[in-house]
Amino acid sequence: MAEVSVKEGVETRDWIELKRKPVADIGFDETVKNLTTEKIEKVVNAVLNIGKNAARFMAPLETCIHCALCSTACHWYLSHDKDPTYAPVAKVKMTLWELIKRKGKVSPEFMKQVARIVFCECNLCRRCSMYCPFGLDIAYQLGMVRRICFILGLVPQNILDQTHSLSATLNQLWLTQGDWIDTMQWQEEEVRAEIKNVRIPIDKEGADVMWCPLGTEPKVATYHIARTAKIMNVAGIDWTVSAQDGWDSANMGMFIRDMETMQRVVRGIYDNAMRLKIKRVVLTE
Amino acid sequence: MYDFIKDPSIYNFVRGPLVWIAFLVFIGGSIYKIREMVLLAKKEKVVYPYMDLKLSLRSLLHWLIPFNSRNWRLRPVVTTVTFLFHIGLVILPVFLLAHNVLIYESWGISWWTLSEGLSDIMAMIVIGCCIFFALRRIFAPEVRFVTFADDYLILAIAFLPFITGFLAYHQWLLPHKIMVILHMIFGSLMLITIPFTRLGHMLYFFLTRAYMGSDQGYRHSKDW
Ligand code: HEM
Ligand code: SF4
Ligand code: SF4
Repeated sequence: MAEVSVKEGVETRDWIELKRKPVADIGFDETVKNLTTEKIEKVVNAVLNIGKNAARFMAPLETCIHCALCSTACHWYLSHDKDPTYAPVAKVKMTLWELIKRKGKVSPEFMKQVARIVFCECNLCRRCSMYCPFGLDIAYQLGMVRRICFILGLVPQNILDQTHSLSATLNQLWLTQGDWIDTMQWQEEEVRAEIKNVRIPIDKEGADVMWCPLGTEPKVATYHIARTAKIMNVAGIDWTVSAQDGWDSANMGMFIRDMETMQRVVRGIYDNAMRLKIKRVVLTE
Repeated sequence: MYDFIKDPSIYNFVRGPLVWIAFLVFIGGSIYKIREMVLLAKKEKVVYPYMDLKLSLRSLLHWLIPFNSRNWRLRPVVTTVTFLFHIGLVILPVFLLAHNVLIYESWGISWWTLSEGLSDIMAMIVIGCCIFFALRRIFAPEVRFVTFADDYLILAIAFLPFITGFLAYHQWLLPHKIMVILHMIFGSLMLITIPFTRLGHMLYFFLTRAYMGSDQGYRHSKDW
């Protein structure tokens, strides 16, 4: 990693302290081969488009006094024996700050490093904003860097694939509508072994509650569905699940800042709620 | 060099026009920067709809009280130094007897002033706090990692008016008049740079806190 820094001409001191074990991820290792400095520059400038939609990352950059008081908030920093390279402000310094300072003119290798920091070393949990005396929104800043990476295709393969699935099927794990309905009916039978005549109502118009699981539940954790059915039945709740696409509440688009897919997922759920005249939407979390 | 600085026209320039320019740039620049940021924020879809006066004031007030927020309590030394430093920084110049005398001589108005002894102690506190900040930048690893030349520069800009004022009062190191001229130059420099450097955190503090306070308060949670 330190070699990259020398080539990049970043203040070397920083990057020598940035020691990470290499991790193989084709989402980074393969896509980085297709990148050029020109492409990166174009994307960085399009996303950061200074002057428009910029208040939320310019205000923090111009305010941050580099006091590092935010570091105590971050579980990455705390769980790495207070390694300064995991401090929230350090992550902004090493990514967004450098991209702005160099107007996006950075090498693909540098960008790969940036992607690793914003995807794999921060959860965008926003705890640091509760510890910064200025309440600076660091998660938003790093989220914007994730968007740059996403547009460049530099995204961990697993989460990118799930986002592709969402954009094609509105669920996270490539389930067809048939798989989904079949799974619900199968789980209904399973629960009936314990509770007599239990139902998992599908597409029941006018129900109080529409439950939207995560795609992983029908795919690999079907017992969650059985448990939810038991709880709903015992609690006497008038509930249903949607038969049509837009039943999955996992929103990987949000995590990688694929705003287009993110909006379609949310919209899918709202559309179903309107179609079925539901009072409340309940999500798995 | 000494003769040049001692020339009365330098003193007159520094005391008159320079201070005027500094105040105009400080006030004009501050209004300009705040206006720019407020207009920029208007273009964002999700800033204005969440802004709430009550929640903003709640957050601001909470963070302006020492040891009130969790992070203030977790770092008692930094908290004490930060508050002492900023109280001195803001209160001392406004309520200093010598400053009041100058204003009285010019405009015939004056207000409540600090005693000379207290002023001296406050100046020493501000100077000590600056040294603490500098040491923290050198020795605390998480701070050192994000420290660059500009961080020392803005620290020096805050430090210089106080150290020169302190030395001028005690008439140490340099002849009184020269020290006073330096003090006025550095004081003006600080005022001029506040809106255009990260010393502007003084202005944006109220905006960024208001935003985070509203954003969290809207979700029925706190930001401290
Ligand atoms: C009145 C509004 C102000 C507020 C609310 C404010 C708030 C803060 C806060 C929360 C910090 C970080 C805490 C720390 O580093 O210990 C800080 C640091 C600092 N402030 Fe202010 N500030 C204000 C005005 C000023 C002014 C007018 C100046 C000087 C012109 C100034 C100079 C500094 C400096 C130099 C630091 C950095 C210390 C370091 O190097 O770590 N502040 N301020
Ligand atoms: S948002 Fe990121 S940097 Fe901030 S505390 Fe959470 S994980 Fe750490
Ligand atoms: S606590 Fe806030 S001002 Fe201080 S370094 Fe972190 S983000 Fe910057």
